[in-house]
Amino acid sequence: MKRRLSIGLAVVLLAAVVAVVVWGRSDDAEGGAQGELTTVRGVIGSEKLAFFSDRRVVDAFAEHGLKVEVDTAGSRQLATSVDLGRYAFAFPSSSPAAQRIQRDRKTTAAHTPFQSPMAVATFEPIVELLEAAGVVTKGAGDYQVLDVAKYLELTKAGTRWDQLPGNTAYPARKNILVTTTNPAESNSAAMYLSIVSFVANGNTVVATPEQEATVLPDVARLFRDQGYTQNSTEGPFEDYLAAGMGKTPLALIYESQYLDRVLRADGSIRADMRLLYLAPTVYSKHTLVPLSDQGDQVGRLLSTDPELTKLAATFGFRTSDPRVFADVVGDKAPADLVDAVEPPSFETLERLLDAVAP
Amino acid sequence: MRTAFVLAAVLVVAGCTGEAGPDPAQPAGPAEPGVLRVLAGSELTDLQPVLDEAAKATGVEVKFTFTGTLEGAEALAKGEVDGKYDAVWFSSNRYPAGIPEAAKRLGNQVKIMSSPVVLGLSASSAQRLGWADRRVGWGEIAEQAGRKAFSYGMTDPSASNSGFSALVGVASALAGAGNAVDAGQIAAVTPRLKSFFAAQSLSAGSSGWLSEAYLRRATGHDPGARVDGLINYESVLLSLNASKDLPEPLTLVYPDDGVVTADYPLTLLADSGDDARDAHQRLTDHLRTPDVQRKIMETTHRRPVVPGVDLDSRFTVRDLVELPFPAARDSVDALLSAYFNEIRRPSRTLYVLDTSGSMAGDRIASLRSALVGLTGADDTLTGRFRRFRSREEVTMLPFNTEPGTPRTFTLPEGDPSAQLAEIKAYAEGLVEGGGTAIYDSLSRAYEVMEPLVAADPDRFTSIVLMTDGENANGTGLPEFQASFGSVPASVRQVPVFTVLFGEGSSAELGQVATMTGGRVFDARSAALGQVFQEIRGYQ
Repeated sequence: MKRRLSIGLAVVLLAAVVAVVVWGRSDDAEGGAQGELTTVRGVIGSEKLAFFSDRRVVDAFAEHGLKVEVDTAGSRQLATSVDLGRYAFAFPSSSPAAQRIQRDRKTTAAHTPFQSPMAVATFEPIVELLEAAGVVTKGAGDYQVLDVAKYLELTKAGTRWDQLPGNTAYPARKNILVTTTNPAESNSAAMYLSIVSFVANGNTVVATPEQEATVLPDVARLFRDQGYTQNSTEGPFEDYLAAGMGKTPLALIYESQYLDRVLRADGSIRADMRLLYLAPTVYSKHTLVPLSDQGDQVGRLLSTDPELTKLAATFGFRTSDPRVFADVVGDKAPADLVDAVEPPSFETLERLLDAVAP
Repeated sequence: MRTAFVLAAVLVVAGCTGEAGPDPAQPAGPAEPGVLRVLAGSELTDLQPVLDEAAKATGVEVKFTFTGTLEGAEALAKGEVDGKYDAVWFSSNRYPAGIPEAAKRLGNQVKIMSSPVVLGLSASSAQRLGWADRRVGWGEIAEQAGRKAFSYGMTDPSASNSGFSALVGVASALAGAGNAVDAGQIAAVTPRLKSFFAAQSLSAGSSGWLSEAYLRRATGHDPGARVDGLINYESVLLSLNASKDLPEPLTLVYPDDGVVTADYPLTLLADSGDDARDAHQRLTDHLRTPDVQRKIMETTHRRPVVPGVDLDSRFTVRDLVELPFPAARDSVDALLSAYFNEIRRPSRTLYVLDTSGSMAGDRIASLRSALVGLTGADDTLTGRFRRFRSREEVTMLPFNTEPGTPRTFTLPEGDPSAQLAEIKAYAEGLVEGGGTAIYDSLSRAYEVMEPLVAADPDRFTSIVLMTDGENANGTGLPEFQASFGSVPASVRQVPVFTVLFGEGSSAELGQVATMTGGRVFDARSAALGQVFQEIRGYQ
């Protein structure tokens, strides 16, 4: 796939050598000359770009005679406005977006090779503040969670950071709000809306227009009060990593984004950085919708090829076979999240997204 | 590519933003592999050395055409970028993102670097105010500004993103609600914003000219009064310090309640082809490698956006609270509208207008329509914020063989439409004939202005001098220069913005602009109306 991306090239190249030795694929690799590769073009949510650009992933596809080229788009744009005619597959980050594409393209085929729960990237001083305020607790599992119901209480009152009692660590005159992406454009914001609407609806998936109307004031505020939001989940996460606590004290991300950085051990996750799970959370089910036979082959390989599934786990994705993820991630993430809920139907979610967009 | 860039830069300096290049249909040339045609903010000129190296490393050349933030957003919304550019690169996408027709044309956005908008004060002013060693908030800054404890310069929020960001930042911080400001909060916070902007003594249509004017005044090269500080990007303020040209360095004041930060997303247009996508990907990958990020930090004083590149010691405050930026265009427009019509110090402008015989035909028609455009006839996004505003004072002084009769229009608070109609009728009644007495008329302008300034000194005051020919009657430039010292001090510091039109002498008008602390604008290759709008940013 040309030189489409070269983040951390040295690290990646070194790892690629290791991968070849460990998995003993060097013999196979010699078989396919570069010229014989078939180019397959897909459009994906931006959070999977690093995966598709990784040299090991490129090599793994090359062994099957494929060269996968990808463009990125917000998952909702991908489901509604991107011209899919030029692509062999669409790979949004959630099942509602995939369902919409399936419906529009009149196909039932889909692969769900990996998934990732929504989580919040934050900092130790923030965790301490929110613990004291009863918003961060030890959840039902053996890991810290952000209690979404308590969080909604704080936001309903318009609480600012500097109004938390005894707050000297982060006395910003700014509302306590998780930084999300633009609900009009990005999947992670849609997943977040799934979670907060579930809680605001008395811990029930929003299913009727009456329920939509009831939850709307409380959930719309979470977006409106943020003002301008970015259109890709990489945006807030990068701000979190590079600009720090002042700009982004709480960043809504996919667990995979954080685990990817932890597993890379590139120093970008510093000592005071923390990952909080949401209680409840939603799994973002990365769903590949094939638009051609070759796209379908990409989907099958991602789901079944041992090397590709293992690579997906090294990027922090939870694989369909949980053992692959557990082998790679070890104790860096809980094996199972206990408090996961389902997103509303595509139609309900669309209406909610339209209603909360600025 | 180099040639195109230099051409674009020259045109910007000459005051002809937007339509740079010989072919208006393809201002940045046709699409070609390995070339990214980018509509950009002019402050990106300082990135050229980095882009030259990037071209060697990636094979991707950047062809810039420069324009302002609002003009850029408008061009996107109207589809004027379609097929002409591959990408846009402004200090932020916040404004176009609020306009649906513009937002839908934004494709893949990749942040390249960042810089917060902060206050830079001369070291002695910062000491005097007690802000050198202590963090302060926008509230305290506004309070001292209201007392005129210091003065500052800022760009026009409708022309330049630094002024726009500062306005939004101050409004958000003073509203103090902790969320993105809306129209209702803006009304409530207007009195405090008035305090804050009472201390603004210098306005500019571009961030670069603002820095130059500050420097010239600080070093006594301009007749204008010294200014204590500047609101601008951290990178611009650090560059001024690094240049060592200032008599005393600027102390950067980072308001502790937050800032608005530019993040420079290099943004592919949604309809761009494969070659452009590939070029965008290669270039952005390269610009975000740690070494290039470090180089950007060192050469442009902007902050890196990727993890793993540590800020060096020039960035004294590292962790900055980011103020929420209103997403709804209504809120932003309400804020801009309040700023121009209620908040900022009102302006006083005297237009010295050539109506000599050589203006016959298209030229006098252009002049009429340029002035009429400022009375509300231009309903474009930029036109709406550049028209004559409530509380403004406008004097017209037409001339030919000798100066004509001046006429002053004072626009009231609130609805100015009756006065705007009078200005429009006046402009439509301008007729040509006779000779060209440029310097007698300019001298007359100072006489006309002196009692106006004496009666009401607290205005942004400037003179616009437009001529289409060489001086043919009365005193010449040398006599004018010789007598300039005897112009009363209250009006000698008024900048003269000169407009080259027709056969106007660029050398002479350049000297007038320089000696008065103004600037030359070139209307020979751009529409006069567009140039008059651009000058509004300096008034």
